[in-house]
Amino acid sequence: MNDVLRAAFVIARRDFVATVWARTYILFLLAPLVVFGFSVAVGMSAGSKDREASRPVVAVVADSATVQALQGARARLVAGTSESAFPILSIVAPAENVEAQAQRLLADDEARLSAVLSGTIAAPVLTGPRAVESGGLGDRIGLIVGEARRSIALADAGLDAEGAAPRRVFTQAAAGDLRTTRMALGKGAQFLIFFITMLLATLLLSNMVEEKSNKVIEVLAAAVPLDAVFLGKLVAMLGASLVGLAAWAGMLGLGYVFVQTLQDWMAVPQVVPAIGWPAFILLLFVYYATNYMILGALFLGIGGQASNIREIQSLSMPVTFLQLFVLFLAMNAGGGDPDTLAWIAFILPFSSPLAMIAFAAESPALWPHLLALAWQGLWVLLIIRASASLFRKTVLKSGPRPGFMAGLKARKG
Amino acid sequence: MGDRVENGLAIEARGLFKAFDGKPAVRGIDLKVPEGSIYGILGPNGAGKTTTLRMLLGIIDPDAGSSVLLGRERPLDAAGIVGYLPEERGLYPAMHCRDAIAFMGALRGLPLEVGRKRAEQLLSENGLGDYVAKPIKSLSKGMAQTVQLFGTIVHRPKLIVLDEPFSGLDAMNQGRLEHLIRDEAAQGVTIIFSTHVIAHAERLCERIAIIAGGRVRFEGEVAEARDRLRPQVRLGTRAESGPWRAALPTGAELRGGVWHFELPAEGIEPLLKALIDGGAGIEELSIERPGLHDAFVAIAGEEAARELEESAAADQEIAR
Repeated sequence: MNDVLRAAFVIARRDFVATVWARTYILFLLAPLVVFGFSVAVGMSAGSKDREASRPVVAVVADSATVQALQGARARLVAGTSESAFPILSIVAPAENVEAQAQRLLADDEARLSAVLSGTIAAPVLTGPRAVESGGLGDRIGLIVGEARRSIALADAGLDAEGAAPRRVFTQAAAGDLRTTRMALGKGAQFLIFFITMLLATLLLSNMVEEKSNKVIEVLAAAVPLDAVFLGKLVAMLGASLVGLAAWAGMLGLGYVFVQTLQDWMAVPQVVPAIGWPAFILLLFVYYATNYMILGALFLGIGGQASNIREIQSLSMPVTFLQLFVLFLAMNAGGGDPDTLAWIAFILPFSSPLAMIAFAAESPALWPHLLALAWQGLWVLLIIRASASLFRKTVLKSGPRPGFMAGLKARKG
Repeated sequence: MGDRVENGLAIEARGLFKAFDGKPAVRGIDLKVPEGSIYGILGPNGAGKTTTLRMLLGIIDPDAGSSVLLGRERPLDAAGIVGYLPEERGLYPAMHCRDAIAFMGALRGLPLEVGRKRAEQLLSENGLGDYVAKPIKSLSKGMAQTVQLFGTIVHRPKLIVLDEPFSGLDAMNQGRLEHLIRDEAAQGVTIIFSTHVIAHAERLCERIAIIAGGRVRFEGEVAEARDRLRPQVRLGTRAESGPWRAALPTGAELRGGVWHFELPAEGIEPLLKALIDGGAGIEELSIERPGLHDAFVAIAGEEAARELEESAAADQEIAR
């Protein structure tokens, strides 16, 4: 065992240095941040445009008192929810024939109207195509009219419609909110681990192909156990990814501090994972490592069977689907008492790290993590052993070797 | 377990058999490589040399048979005292020469710092001192091969296994390699190498195994292989015919005015007397010991010999 670890260390050290000292690693570090920043900026702009363009506009054809009441009601409702929750009200002075006016307005391309509201608060009329009902436009106009009616009724009764907000008594936390935020935290952590592992999966797939193209693999296989080669490569890539993570976290942290100094722009959510922040952050790293090692050992094994980069590209899609499947399975693990799917997610080695990080967000128990880590560690070793064994049987032999698919066909035959 | 073996054999293989996709590549190979010897495995491409070496080193497992390497049944247990240069040379292109050599030593248990110092020494002693901190990708193919060879010996192994070490090398580098092999052997290191160039085996080896079609056709000393054939006599005479012709053994051939035939079992003296008495008028008489090439043809057959020549020719083409 000592020989395996010593050899794995030698290989890990070489691979780590070769990876981290390469110019391409700088690109690897910067590319996700640039892409992420660009995507966020473009996404926010596009989202804002989309939201603006997709909000319905309703023309209000009514007398000034009705218009005023409706606008006041809408303003109060928006204050309690959001601007985008209610249609835009466009005020139009009523003509003699309101019904004909409504038809003309709806036919006008420039006005971009979804419906026309006319009549009075007591007897409102909403004119528009039946299709807008499927978007709930009628209900939302109904809420505005209802609010206007209640406001008028309260005013008639001598009560202040604006003063209805309850007196606030603040507590540390509410159980319902805590559970929801912890669930969200768990899901966020799952997604983070999934996303970073996915970024690195192709690197792992192509790792052994590179080794074979350098023809160094035979030198390694003659000197050290193949298990040590696989373990060393995994540890090296894990190390390189942790350096990347630290760099990304550092850059994001600096960015946050910079933005906060300019403007109090982003508040840190006041959520504490059930297991506590220090343990949660530690577990986040540990489960990232085990998730990476388990999937990495599998990808290294699969990639080891490929002969060239083209085969690696073909393998990338099923591997991405496998990761998505694992993520969706693990997402069953959060949110209360575990059901059958959640138990499968906890036990299945490929989803176990993702499921357990969600568990850490929602439960203070520590011992299940020790058990899970031992279980996941065992699977890392088993997959490495199986991958190395398969590699030894199918790859290390004399003469030209058939490609991955040809190899599969040959084995079937 | 010490580094000395009890039976004096650095390698002992019995009945090694390996098939790939149902097709046998090696069909029951027995080898005995004495400790401290230079041992050659001679055979054409596809004869099973590389597969045999890979099985001996534990890179692949045999389907049947067993081997003992420096007294160890598990070859990797001896990894620290074995050096291996594979047929497909491989180094990390971005690595510096010194680090590449030290890395190969580290794989076999040599501390990295010691490996670096020895790498510098090896490179300097062999006129490559300027390349210590140069990346492998900046070297010529021959130089890179030399660097890999240094990586094979940097940890001072007791057994060096070289798979087609002369392949792809120009004459100067081949000479350098022969020198290095002799030097290592002089220090008591066992060297086993595969080759399809008879001259290398003939010049360097004390013992050889001739492999063809996945089988060992001969194993023993080079002289033993040659002794499989009778010495060849070349005879040139003034007389074209006469009673002396009756003294020529059966199978004698006249080529270019010179008779060629195997030395008779009773020796040269009775033949010489009969030729003189029969009035041959001897102009030229020589007895030539058969070369390893002749022995190879006799042992492995014409087809294997032709394949061997083709392999060697292909090699020379690559070196050019």
